[in-house]
Amino acid sequence: MNDAQRPLPTEVLRRLTTDPGPWLSCDDCFRLVDRYVEGLLGDGGEPPHAELAAMPAHLAGCSACSEEATTLLLLAAEDAGIDPATALRRLPLA
Amino acid sequence: MTEVSHDRSACRRARGTPAPGEDWIAELTSDGRVREDALRRLHALLVRGARFQVSRMSALRAMVGAAQVEDIVTLAADEAMVAVLSKLATFEGRSRFTTWAYKFAVLQAAVELRRAAWSRREVPLDAAPPLTEPRPSPDQYAEGAELAAAAREAIDRVLTPHQRRIALALIVDEVPIDVLADRLGTNRNALYKTLHDARSRLRTHLAGLGYATPPTRSRGEAR
Repeated sequence: MNDAQRPLPTEVLRRLTTDPGPWLSCDDCFRLVDRYVEGLLGDGGEPPHAELAAMPAHLAGCSACSEEATTLLLLAAEDAGIDPATALRRLPLA
Repeated sequence: MTEVSHDRSACRRARGTPAPGEDWIAELTSDGRVREDALRRLHALLVRGARFQVSRMSALRAMVGAAQVEDIVTLAADEAMVAVLSKLATFEGRSRFTTWAYKFAVLQAAVELRRAAWSRREVPLDAAPPLTEPRPSPDQYAEGAELAAAAREAIDRVLTPHQRRIALALIVDEVPIDVLADRLGTNRNALYKTLHDARSRLRTHLAGLGYATPPTRSRGEAR
């Protein structure tokens, strides 16, 4: 592939320069993700714990963790009999 | 278990309400038919979680074929079963037990499918050419062709060779992070840290040039 065939579309530029936020490893994201998605599905819709504060930026920056968190949210919503639509809109998009 | 979770358990006992997952933990750590039944239900739950994850990865699923997908679901559920049982003592009851257990199956299934789908694909790493956009598209004019040009230059000049290689593989070439970790003999944490640092460098550089960089986006804002 030569230079002219390697463009930088706007969406790729956005993903390259998205705000990385405070550091949170993928392992810590995995440790916290069950609490995080249930927080999003809860009445207030916002994760209540300070420990979860770095989750939105991580999920916005890591497409693998974001993909898995979305699945977990949908499974948890179905088990709890909750419509996931509102919580899905709050889940950061990688 | 933390002091906080001890306090939470004490509060639940005082109110007479069971902690989330209390029955699962009791049954999985009991003996005989009670445990066997709990193990069977747990495995079914993990199969469901793994199957749901691969069902959402349609592009990768199409690359491996139905038979291999079913093998991946079974393997992921089995590996998740081992992981859940080995980590039962770490479950603090801060979420439903089922949500906590699902995440092991979801992770295993996603990782296994990404690896299988990319098993015969080349990962472009060694000769990534410079990024260029000789003729910006109309939306790039609208949203900032100058920013795009500054970002391209920054990617080549501000990032370290390692940061550039990882950022381009993950973001431009869309190599799954687990696949890239396997090929480079590293792990997901290390690669995400490199990407995190690369983004920080790019944003700092672009902000220094006076450009506003994109904020975090939620699905509610997705177009």
